Amino acid sequence: MELIQQQLPIVLHSLNIGFLQTLKLFIVTLLGAMPLGLVIAFGSMSRFKPLSVFTRVIVWIVRGSPLMIQLLIIYYFPGLVLHNPIWGGGESGRFLAAAVAFIFNYACYFSEIYRGGIQSVPVGQIEAGYVLGMTKTQIFLRVKLLQVIKAIVPPMSNEIITLVKDTSLARIIALQEIIWAGQSFMKGSQGISGAIWPMFFTAVYYLAFNGIMTLLLGWLEKKLNYYR
Amino acid sequence: MKKLMKAVSLLMAVMMLLGSVAFAETDMEYVKNKGKLIVGITDFAPMDYKDENGEWVGFDADMAKAFGAYLGVEVELVEIDWDNKILELDGKTIDCVWNGMTLTDEVKSAMETSNAYANNAQVVVLPTAKANDYADAAALSGLTFAVEAGSAGEAEVAALGYNMTSVHSQADTLLEVKAGTSDAAVIDALMAAAMVGEGTDYADLTYTLALNSEEYGVGFRKGSDLAAALNEFMAAAYADGTMMAIAETYGVQAAIIPQ
Repeated sequence: MELIQQQLPIVLHSLNIGFLQTLKLFIVTLLGAMPLGLVIAFGSMSRFKPLSVFTRVIVWIVRGSPLMIQLLIIYYFPGLVLHNPIWGGGESGRFLAAAVAFIFNYACYFSEIYRGGIQSVPVGQIEAGYVLGMTKTQIFLRVKLLQVIKAIVPPMSNEIITLVKDTSLARIIALQEIIWAGQSFMKGSQGISGAIWPMFFTAVYYLAFNGIMTLLLGWLEKKLNYYR
Repeated sequence: MKKLMKAVSLLMAVMMLLGSVAFAETDMEYVKNKGKLIVGITDFAPMDYKDENGEWVGFDADMAKAFGAYLGVEVELVEIDWDNKILELDGKTIDCVWNGMTLTDEVKSAMETSNAYANNAQVVVLPTAKANDYADAAALSGLTFAVEAGSAGEAEVAALGYNMTSVHSQADTLLEVKAGTSDAAVIDALMAAAMVGEGTDYADLTYTLALNSEEYGVGFRKGSDLAAALNEFMAAAYADGTMMAIAETYGVQAAIIPQ
């Protein structure tokens, strides 16, 4: 117990730095994937057949293969295949490659949630919009959009909470997020070696953060529940 | 069909062009043109570790910096996932691995390695209470070992033909022993000295006999001319005493191999 007290400040400092990376990746992914997901959703719903087929194949590949492999491919392929390591070896390059992989992966998941939301609006409402002389854009913005937002909040909450934990996969390309930071004390780092507890302690960070996210998203869901 | 053929041949021409540009220069020229040698490491005291100011130091880190100065390039030390070291080298995200790497046959066939510069051994880690019962290699035959996948320890246990479980890292092997899921672990002597015993979470573990002796070297991309350059540099650094001076700073002078 005394030992843990001595180690605590050093370990917490290290875990905080790691968690900052985790948070950064989480926020960048959300900011990138939410709009990109909408673009992909429109692509897969397009009435122009080649576009919708192409988009669906991409979504199938991204959703159907492990994110870990996607991270490895995006980070290592430019150097391995094209002999041009575009990301560089430093920390910022690794973060950028991880962000690209995460944004693309999550955008594909989000696109399917958006598609489900958009297609859940009854066709009668759209017909009513046309009868009232509304344009397509007007129908989307004034009739569909708010209903879509309401419908997608619960499934999006699910994905967002999964994303918080999935960020730990980025350690495969040596992005030093919180689990990496915790594990480093097992082997030895900053004078502490052979310490197991920091790795398990990282779960506390995830739990606390996901607790906040759950409250926030629950509040949002309630806010949008204006018809009940 | 004709269009497709055209597209394919164009693609191949582009690839060949890209390839020839990449292969026209030697690895040393590539690093010098870039002005930076990127060294792949892990947190592994006393070879590579962070000091109070967050700077990478250690015997390997200091030697790498000195080698950079010798080449006239900047040195960047980057922490990598040790499992991916070959990917990192071939993908050119790093230029060498310099982190107390055991020169095994696998390492030598996958990389261009330097001359050996330090001695190491693979040792058996056991619960202290049981250590006296397993004083020689023959007594170990009934145990189940935890080893790091792809490590020199794995090769040693495989050669003895004993039961083993391969796990992700050397640190995980000790977790296995501590949790009782394996009877013993086989890891680097330098690492065992740091990781088990008083003041660690593994206070009830100890390390006993060495299964082999082995040597540390530096790894470069296959075919790289930097390995020869490093050999020259190490010979000079050993001759003028700088190599031993660095070794004494980190207490590893007993393990250094004369160059």
